[in-house]
Formats: sequence, structure tokens, C-alpha cells
Amino acid sequence: MNARKGNPRVLLGLAVAWFFFGSGSFAQSGADFDRGMAEFRAGNYSSAAKLFASAETASPGTTDALLYQAKSLVHLPDFPGAEKALRSYLSSHANSSDALYLLGFVLNRQNRPAESLETYTKAAAITRPNADDLKIVGLDYVLLDDYADATKWLERAVAFDAKNADAWYYLGRAYYTKSRLIEARKAFQAVLNLDPHDARAENNLGLILESDAQPDAAIDAYHKAIAWQEQNPHPSEQPYVNLGNLLIEQGRAEEAIAPLEKAVALAPNNAFCRLKLGVYYHKVGQLEPARRELERATQLDPENAAAHYQLGRLYAEIHALDKARAEFERTAELKSRAASPKPTSPNP
Amino acid sequence: MKEQIEARPTFSRRMVRILLLAMALPLAAQKHATPAASGPPGAFVDITARLGVNFQYRASHTSKKYLPETMGAGVAVFDYDNDGRLDLFFVNGAPLADPTPKGSIPQKSGPEYWNRLYHQKPDGTFEDVTEKAGLQGAGYGMGVAVGDYDNDGFEDLYVTAYGGNKLYHNNGDGTFTDVTQKAGVGGSGWSTSAAWVDLDNDGYLDLIVLRYLDWDFDDIWCGEHKEGYRAYCHPDYFKPIAPLVYHNNRDGTFTEVSQKIGLAKPGKGLGLAIADYDRDGHIDFFVANDSMPEFLYHNKGDGTFEDVGLVAEVAVDIDGRTYAGMGVDLADYNNDGWPDIVVTDLANQRYALYQNNGDGSFTYSSLIAGVGQMTLAHSGWGVRFFDYDNDGWKDILIAQGHDLDTIELNYPNLRYREPMLLARNTGHGFTDVSALSGFTQAWVSRGLALGDLDNDGRIDAVVTTNDGPVHILHNETATQNHWLLLKLVGHKSNRDAIGAEVTLVTAAGSQYATVSTASSYLSASDKRIHFGLGKENTAQKIEIRWPSGIRQTLKDIRADQVLPIDEPESAPSRP
Repeated sequence: MNARKGNPRVLLGLAVAWFFFGSGSFAQSGADFDRGMAEFRAGNYSSAAKLFASAETASPGTTDALLYQAKSLVHLPDFPGAEKALRSYLSSHANSSDALYLLGFVLNRQNRPAESLETYTKAAAITRPNADDLKIVGLDYVLLDDYADATKWLERAVAFDAKNADAWYYLGRAYYTKSRLIEARKAFQAVLNLDPHDARAENNLGLILESDAQPDAAIDAYHKAIAWQEQNPHPSEQPYVNLGNLLIEQGRAEEAIAPLEKAVALAPNNAFCRLKLGVYYHKVGQLEPARRELERATQLDPENAAAHYQLGRLYAEIHALDKARAEFERTAELKSRAASPKPTSPNP
Repeated sequence: MKEQIEARPTFSRRMVRILLLAMALPLAAQKHATPAASGPPGAFVDITARLGVNFQYRASHTSKKYLPETMGAGVAVFDYDNDGRLDLFFVNGAPLADPTPKGSIPQKSGPEYWNRLYHQKPDGTFEDVTEKAGLQGAGYGMGVAVGDYDNDGFEDLYVTAYGGNKLYHNNGDGTFTDVTQKAGVGGSGWSTSAAWVDLDNDGYLDLIVLRYLDWDFDDIWCGEHKEGYRAYCHPDYFKPIAPLVYHNNRDGTFTEVSQKIGLAKPGKGLGLAIADYDRDGHIDFFVANDSMPEFLYHNKGDGTFEDVGLVAEVAVDIDGRTYAGMGVDLADYNNDGWPDIVVTDLANQRYALYQNNGDGSFTYSSLIAGVGQMTLAHSGWGVRFFDYDNDGWKDILIAQGHDLDTIELNYPNLRYREPMLLARNTGHGFTDVSALSGFTQAWVSRGLALGDLDNDGRIDAVVTTNDGPVHILHNETATQNHWLLLKLVGHKSNRDAIGAEVTLVTAAGSQYATVSTASSYLSASDKRIHFGLGKENTAQKIEIRWPSGIRQTLKDIRADQVLPIDEPESAPSRP
């Protein structure tokens, strides 16, 4: 744990920074390892990973080369590669909580929440988890669709570190998903208190306002989120598609096309964005662009009943009746599946 | 991970509402009648206590939040003794143990749980005649359907419940006899809305009985695991179930034929309405399903049916999303001669209004017509098209209130108790005139039935509430508009004339209606057809297409009367 204390942390998506600038207390040696560290610190993760691999080959099991190789691979991101390096490292450093916590994170990113939780449990037996660890544990429960436990761990994360904006954000998402709008709103507001221009939080406040039948306030929120992420090199498509959606609902279609097109430009493989844009084109009579977008939406998300339904409607309008029938049948099949019973919750 | 957690939850994903159509498309009705752009709001006065009706619906709430507790029950507005004055029948619940053992069929334990029949006296007040009529009932009641199934001239009652239904034959002397067993229509499971309709045009009413869910008294916790937050479970937790469809054998017995005629598709049915939506001469019907695609059953004319909801574009909303279908009505609101559809659902879903295109398809018109905006924050159950101000345009009345008594804990802008919604049809769309019309009290409304209780030409409403009193809402709208009430009597067709299509023509345009006692939610309305005639004091023409296929034309009919019309033997016209 000491090795983790005090090191700077940076974010990589959900990543926890200490994984990448972690322990420096081990005695390290060898030219490749030193060069690897230099590359790592410079952000040249690909070459760093190769140098750490060479260092490990030169002196197997005697340095933290595998751990840093894993950290480098996480940055790339190459989670399977990182997992392999970590497991190799743990074979000779079984009690390394750093490696175990990082492995828990890597498993989470590979959508293996049960294994991730098991690994976090082992790590926690060695070293007390911090807020970021608790956050990933919460997200593991999200992946398991266990929102009761997800909120429990995310709440502990923010209790542990009230300035952890990410933990607040994901706690807000968990609340929102379970329709706990008042608590969700407070969580997103906490994010905004920490970063008054956090576009993700503002976008989610917009969703909450929509759910609470306050469309005008929601539109304002989406506009703010878009403005705040303008300087972001990787802006999200979410506020754009949400805004486009809502503008159409409010009868302001002429304002909706720009955000919808922007959403698709930002996220060309997002079926929801394609679907919304396709529906827009259909309604304004631009049938060919509508067909293109709706077909793409069904390709991107073949399980999306709404996309199949809208494509069926379009085919019917252009008298491609066999295709229309097929799309409606697919819609019915997917809707029927959706109406089948969900697992029930055990009593407390 | 990112995709997963940032995905919007199913309950709240917003629908796309492309409204460019709204820029140019008023309701497609101008060629048929002059739009009434301005007019009075309604004036509905709660006169329940004055009329001597003190029914109280008992839901028997428990800590387990069993789903039937929040569904409410129905009401029937009908004339059981043929005295020309409408009577009232209310369905009631039954006591529930807390917890109730799985497999239990709740039973009524005393008068507080009885269903109730109120007879309207000549002075307009009501008297409770339940015991004399023998209609105390059994079980945890849900819905009621009215129809003269044996064509003896007296309306019979079918009462649905959780665990088994009852058919009461009207003996014509103020009493009813439970003939369920002999008739073979007891059913099973959780029945909801039912409708009497002659599915095969043999002159006898058949019976459609919706069922809601494959459900039992299991102890399932839904909602948050903290004190006060336990909630009623979403229907997604339970399997759908097929309806029951009983063919009338014309001898007092029935045969269940749902599989045989293509109606055995499992659904989560709550609301049921009938009309010949494609005007092919065969009666069709719509099933409002909760949180799964709605069904539009097309009568193929060979005695079988097929669901065409998706193809007709009425199974989902404009965005392709299902919603919590509760109540439904089928009527021609834009006076183009084609029956349209309104379906109520929960807050954040907007009530669905589908305008009939006349080619077998519909257009989702909630936003174009103004219904979407006014219903965004509301939850609706019983619903009826009706012309409250007799201006010739069918308005909409909706019983409202959320299904979750915990809704305000998480959604501060939504309400468990809500006022009724009255949407006035201006001919160009609908406007919310609820508050102006006397609908300011917030109730947990569920069932809704209509009828002109005092035969003054203005349609009154009766509303049930969950675990609360009923409300008789007297229509006192100030208007000089004219009206007609048509009481059709079938002879070759079923005696109630259910399924008959009526087209009324005045100098201002034409209107279209279908005889039915069904629609709304769990409830049955007066079968008489009501038309508002606006300023016209004469109907130039009334054309009737009886279920038998016989066509009849009446000309120059004076307004402001209740007009009995008998089915002719063939197809005469009379001046």
C-alpha cells in the first residue's frame, strides 16, 4: 500500500491513475527497465511495454517490469495483454495488492465483473481499498445488473473521498437507472460542485429533467453540456442526440437536425444516433437518407426493436412490402422477448 | 462498461417526436364539418352525494404491494330495468390477508366488499338495490361488461375478477341469476376488461375477456429496499396470458374459442374497444396491453382474426417503443368516417392517439393533435371520446392517477393523485380544458363510464377511484347546441345492436359512431349513441349499417330527443 500512496493519478476513461505511476519503492535495475520507465513517463506506452517485456526476459521475476508492462498495456488499451502480464507477475508476487487491484480493473474492463470482484476481494485482504477501487467494485455490480450493491459501493466510494467526481458521476448514473431521480440529481450536482463545467453531469441532469416532465429545462441543460464540452478534444455524442430528440418532441424539428447530424458524426457506430437521425429524415420525407440511417442502425444493433420497426415503416412507405413484413416480424419477435419475465428481486 | 452504464434506462428513453407534420396538418376533417375553434369549457359537477350514491371501493392494501391493489375496478352505466333511466353498477374488491398465501382466491367477506347496483329513481336520485338484485358478487372484482346475450330485452352483466368471473342473467324483474356455471364462462386467472360483441354476426353476442398477467400472490419485492419505498411490480416481472373468447351457443351456454379463431396470443390486456376500423363490414377490436405491443385484431371475415397492430402502426408509439397501455377507445374524432384510437398510459409516455388513414394504417397523432404535450406528466386509465358540449366534435375524457403510490418519492413532478383530464376537440386539435371545466380535485382514478344520466342531451361521467369513493360528474356545460341520442334495437342483429355503425349528416357535416358498451378501462358505458349537432336542429340523414348487414336510412330527424330505432327486416328508408 505504501508504494501506492502519494503517487500521481491520471485518468484513462475509467482507469485509476495509480495503476500507471504506482510503486517506485522496489529496487529496479537494467537498462531496458530504466528506458521503459522513461518511455512510460513520456506517455510512449507501446515502446514502454516492449522495453518492460525485454527487461523481464533479461531478469525474470526480479523487477516490476511485468507490472509496468501491464500498466503500459492498459493505456494502449490492451486489456488481454495486461491481464496476461499481471497474472505472470502475480505468479512471483502473489501478495502484490497493486497487481491485484490493477487486475481487478482490467477484468472489469473486459466485462468480467464476477472475476473482477473476486480479485478485488483478494486485494482488499492485503490492502485497504481506496475510493477508486470502491468505484470499480460498484461498476462491477452495475455490470452484474445488481444496482443495490452497485449503489452501496459507489456510496462508500464518495463517502471515502467526497471529491471523487467520477465516483459521484457513476453513483448518479446508478441512481438514475433505478429511477431514484432525486438522489441522482444530487449526485450529478455534486459532480458539478467539483467541476462546474462537467458536461457529462449536466447532460445527465438534462435526462433527469426530461424524466420529470420538464422539457424546457432539459433543453437548457443539453445546450450547456454541449457548450462546456466544446473545447474537449473528444466530445460526447450524448448531449447532441438527447437535444435533437427532445427538440423534435417539442415540435422544434428545424433545430433538431444539426445536433442529430453532429451526434452521428461523433459516434458513427452508435445505433441510437443513427436511429434518431433516420426517423427524422423519414418524417421530413427524405426517404433515401432515412433508409440509409435506419438500415445502418439495424446493422449496428440487430436487437433494437425500435430500429427494425422504423425500418419496417419506411419499407412499407416505399412499397418494399416483403422487406417491411420481415422488419415487422423481427420487431414482434424482439418485443415478445422483451415482454418475458425479468428476474425477481429477493426480499431483504 | 461505458456503453452499458451510459445507456439510458428503458423507462425513460425519450421518444422522437418529429413534428414537421404539425406545421401543415390540422385534423383531416375540415371537409366534413366546420371546426369549432372556440367554445365553452365544460362544467362538470360532482353530485355523487346528492344522488344518494355512497359506494366505496375497497382495494385492501397490504405491505406486500400485491399488484391487484393498485389496479382499481370498473363501473357500468346501463338501464337494467328498461325504465329509460340509466342505472349504475360498481365492482368491488375483497379482503387480502397480509401476506396472502400463494394460490389464494380472495373472497368477499361482508357488505363492505360487495359489488353494488344502484337503481335510478324517477326523481334522478339512486337507491341501492344490490341485495334485491342478487348482485353482491364474489371474489376480488375488476371489470364489468354489459350486454343482452340472450336477446330477451334485458341487459345482462359479466363481472370479471382475479380468480374467476361471473355471468349474471337479468331476469327482467329487477333480479339477476348467477348463470356462470351453466354458461361455462367462469374462466380463470386474472381477468380485466371484457366486451360483448357479435364476432360472427349470428345475431348473438359473444364475449371477449382480457386477462392481465400470469400472476399469483408471490412475495416479490419491487422498488428500493428501504422503508416506504416498496413499490408495485412492473408487469415485466410476469408472463403474458391469452384472453378468453366465448362463442355464444344461443342456448345459454358458451364455448371458449380463442385458439380456434386466432385470438390466443398472450398479452397483458387491460383495455378493450371495438369498431370496424377498416369499414369492411366485420367488427374488429383493439387490446391495450401493458408494456408490450398493443394488439389490433382484424376480423378476416371468415370467423378468424389476426393481429395487425405493428403493420397498422398502432402497436407502439412513434418511436417504436411500447408503453403501459391501460384504457382505450375507438371512435372517429376527426369526423372523416374512420374510427381512430386513443390509448392511455403512464407519465412520461404520453397518451397515444392514432389517426385512421383509411387504408388500414394509422398515424401516431398525439403530438400533432396536442394530446402528447398535455399528457406528458399524467397517467391515464379509463378514457372515452365524447362530445361534451354538443358541438359536433368528439372530445376526450380521461381518468387519471399514477399506479405507484410511491411515485412522488423519486419523481417530484409526478403525482399519484391527479385531476381528471378533459381535452376539448377544436376541430384543429385538442386543448386541455380540465381546470376550467371543474376537474380540479386530485383522485386516484381508474374506471370511467359515460351516459346521459338525466337524458338532457349532455353526457355525464361516472368515475371509480382506487380504494376510494366513486364520483358522478354531472355535465352542466352551458350550451345551446343541439343533440341526438339514438337507442338502436336489433332484431336480426343482436338486440343491443352492438357493432352497428351510424353515420349522421347535418348541414355542418357528417359524424360516425359505433354502438358499443365496451371501451375505457374495466368499465361499460351506455349503449345509446350520442351526437352533438352544434347549431343544427335537424339531422338531414342518419344512415345505419346493422351488424346483420341491413342498411337503414332515416331523414330529417328532429334534434334534442332520445330516438329509438328498430332494425328493419330488410333495408327500407323512411322519411
